[in-house]
Amino acid sequence: MSPGVIRAYILKEFRELLRSRLILIVYILPTMIIILFGYGIRMEVTDARTLIIDNDNSTISRDLSARFEHSRYFDTRVTSGMGEQEALKRIKQAKVDILVIIPDSFEKRLLHGEKTEIGVFIDGAFPVRAATMQNYVKGVVYDAARSLTDKKPTNLITVNNRNLFNQAMRDEDAIVPGLIGLILLVAPAILSALLIVKEKEEGTIFNFYSSPIKKSEFIVAKLVPPLILHTVNIFILFLWATWLFEVPFRGSFLLYWAASQIYIVISLGVGLLVSIITRTQIVAIVLTIIITIIPGFLYSGMLMPISSMSGESKIEAHIYPVMYFNHIIYDTFLIGQGLDSPKNRLYLAILFFYAVFLILLGSRLMKKETA
Amino acid sequence: MAELEIRGVTVKHGGITAVKDASIYAERGEIIGLIGADGAGKSSLMHAAAGVIRFEGEIVFGGTSFDSPREAERLKPKIGLMPQGIGLVLYKNLTVSEHLSFFSKIRSLKEDAALNDYKQRLLKMAGLERFTERPAGKLSGGMMQKLSLICTLIHRPSLLILDEPTTGVDPLSRLELWKILEEISESEGTVTLMSTAYMQEAEKMDRVYLFDSGTIIASGTAEELNETVKEYVYEPVACRSDRCIAAGHYTYSLDPLEAPHKEPTLEALFFINALKRGVEIPEIEVSERESEEPIPQVVMEAKGLTKRFGDFVADDHIDMELKSGEILGLLGANGAGKTTFIKMLLGLYPIDDGELVLLGRPIRSAKDRQGLKARIGYVSQHFSLYKDMTVRENLLYFASMHGIDAKKASSRIDRYAKELGFASYMDSLPTELPLGINQRFSVAAALLHEPVVLFLDEPTSGVDAIARSQFWQMLKLLKRKWGIAILITTHYMSEAEYCDRVVLLKEGRKVADDSVENLYKKHPAAKSFEEIFLHYYEDGR
Repeated sequence: MSPGVIRAYILKEFRELLRSRLILIVYILPTMIIILFGYGIRMEVTDARTLIIDNDNSTISRDLSARFEHSRYFDTRVTSGMGEQEALKRIKQAKVDILVIIPDSFEKRLLHGEKTEIGVFIDGAFPVRAATMQNYVKGVVYDAARSLTDKKPTNLITVNNRNLFNQAMRDEDAIVPGLIGLILLVAPAILSALLIVKEKEEGTIFNFYSSPIKKSEFIVAKLVPPLILHTVNIFILFLWATWLFEVPFRGSFLLYWAASQIYIVISLGVGLLVSIITRTQIVAIVLTIIITIIPGFLYSGMLMPISSMSGESKIEAHIYPVMYFNHIIYDTFLIGQGLDSPKNRLYLAILFFYAVFLILLGSRLMKKETA
Repeated sequence: MAELEIRGVTVKHGGITAVKDASIYAERGEIIGLIGADGAGKSSLMHAAAGVIRFEGEIVFGGTSFDSPREAERLKPKIGLMPQGIGLVLYKNLTVSEHLSFFSKIRSLKEDAALNDYKQRLLKMAGLERFTERPAGKLSGGMMQKLSLICTLIHRPSLLILDEPTTGVDPLSRLELWKILEEISESEGTVTLMSTAYMQEAEKMDRVYLFDSGTIIASGTAEELNETVKEYVYEPVACRSDRCIAAGHYTYSLDPLEAPHKEPTLEALFFINALKRGVEIPEIEVSERESEEPIPQVVMEAKGLTKRFGDFVADDHIDMELKSGEILGLLGANGAGKTTFIKMLLGLYPIDDGELVLLGRPIRSAKDRQGLKARIGYVSQHFSLYKDMTVRENLLYFASMHGIDAKKASSRIDRYAKELGFASYMDSLPTELPLGINQRFSVAAALLHEPVVLFLDEPTSGVDAIARSQFWQMLKLLKRKWGIAILITTHYMSEAEYCDRVVLLKEGRKVADDSVENLYKKHPAAKSFEEIFLHYYEDGR
């Protein structure tokens, strides 16, 4: 390999990237994804619009309503005397998420030790969200019920629950590290595929075909610019995660960096393979997005933990490199075991193997000739 | 043994054979021409010789033989390839000097005073020394081709392979390209393989190979080749059999005719070959228009039309008149302002200064153009057809864009297809068609609404001689039967002679506006129209 040839080619790539303003996309796209998805995906429910129809208007019913009103999970309005039909209409019109109906003589029956029922209607259009809201409502009601009968032995056991690694159960902590993995898989692949396919589409690839430039020189020259440019994104994304989204970082930054760097090389390898089978830039972009975003999202552990997958999906998850990187990245952010964990060491080795394999495969399949 | 020997080379694309069993030889310093219709296999053979495509057979250059692109790697330091397409190998954002430095670096040339001198010499030969800081994307077509050529020459290749370097290039730039080429082959002993669509160029070459559907059917010097067809070439007379074609200033016939013989040019080879092979060359017909449309005497009148792009004046106060029943040729070098002028007429560019009257209506705003579009037909440089729709679907789409009802459109489309000779291609995609068919079908699309004026921007670039002759036949018939006015730009000076009147633009200014006859009278020394063109361009340089 001749360093002079490679340097000349890389210089040309940077000039073109700057002058065609493609460089803006290199830095805007990752930031855009992390901000859009970081704010956009919310599993947690807060401020559910709740309408309480208090037909009893007693001390106990008002206490119950107050518990709803004081919770950040509900945005509560209390009314009385509204008909059930009218209230349900509000749900249909999507003005209300939760409807709680407290029957009349609610307090009287309770004080007499009789059973009573509270009517609860929940907008179930999004099942996950509905289940969450249902649990919230139950929690409030049971809590209220318990405080009514303080001295019964059933209340001697309480659960002292503590969620490890994400104590506050923040969505940001659960999603943003996964987004970094998604972005570092998608963006470098698009750029490297573009840099090669652009020459094919415009015809300048003939300069490579007809000159003594070696295939290895060409590939290095094409992959180094995206590698350098996206390495900067490793740091930018880290800043967004810890500063904008306030995700804690408990592990080793060196491990985060090293794993991300290897992951970018994997992404470049994907881009290289795409550039071999495509001829036009638009097809290259679409294909890269399809083959990176779908596994990058599904097997990221963001939507569903890999450990809860079974059968084919579990096998697929193990085939794509996404899972290995995400394991490491969640460790560096939330857990901090680092290389002490044998699993992290194994996964890092697997990522390294992937990177080498994809680049070698791409170099092997690329032809220095026209079809 | 010759310096370059191509022995029995066959190239296949997918399952289709592009070149079959082609053999070519060349000595040091020779310029070898490859001619033939579009798709005849010239490019494939040149790609094989440059070692950028797989092939069967053997190629020997300077005693080194190769039979695959991998084997050819050893020779690549000696080979220079300029593939087909204007500015194809250039990076639009890089400047002229950055190109030279990039190409010398990827060729690992030693950066010394000698290289610098050579670069300066190349820049000077190409007339680019004043434009070293200009990005390639902002050069005219002719300048792009000259830059591509000097980038290909930077490592002093001993085998130079040029694929239609002059197509779409104006006569002056063409002449300059040739000068560079001749100088280099003389001083460096370079072997040059070059394909061209201009037969005047082929006549200057040391040997010419004629391609037809993937095989070489004739070779020799221009004189030798002309000798073989001499007996079939006559002064223009009408034909009576299908063993005869009348094309422009010549009539070609396999059977003896009662007419004086005429000295052939290489174009004759194409016609005689087609006749001998019994290829059916569809007779172009045009029937009367269906709608009655009064055509004003003066279709277009421009007074002082001006277009500026920043500091650059693309068209500088141009006056022009286009009458009904007239074919007006708009000539000029690349970047002289021809396309810009047509785009102003069409309203694709706003007019910066001057007056324009179209079909009797003064044009001051976009509003004035309303309703005029239905009476104007336009074919752009790059035929604007939809690549994923068949010919028929394209035409139906254009017809519906013009609000022609489906039944009428369908019968009109079928009639055009038959008359203009592309009926057998109706269900093919535009990308599968020969360029000549594409070009006639593009014009058909522009004729669906029966316009009274037709603007054609370089419709014939890269199209072979037979298709070009049919194209002009079509234009003449349109003029006669429809009384339509036609404005056409072209780089083929032989085509200028078919125009009733020509307007010559130079650097955004009009330098001539006269009939072809009068121009010949003004320049009695000129042997061809090309010389008249060059005369205007060389003045004041």
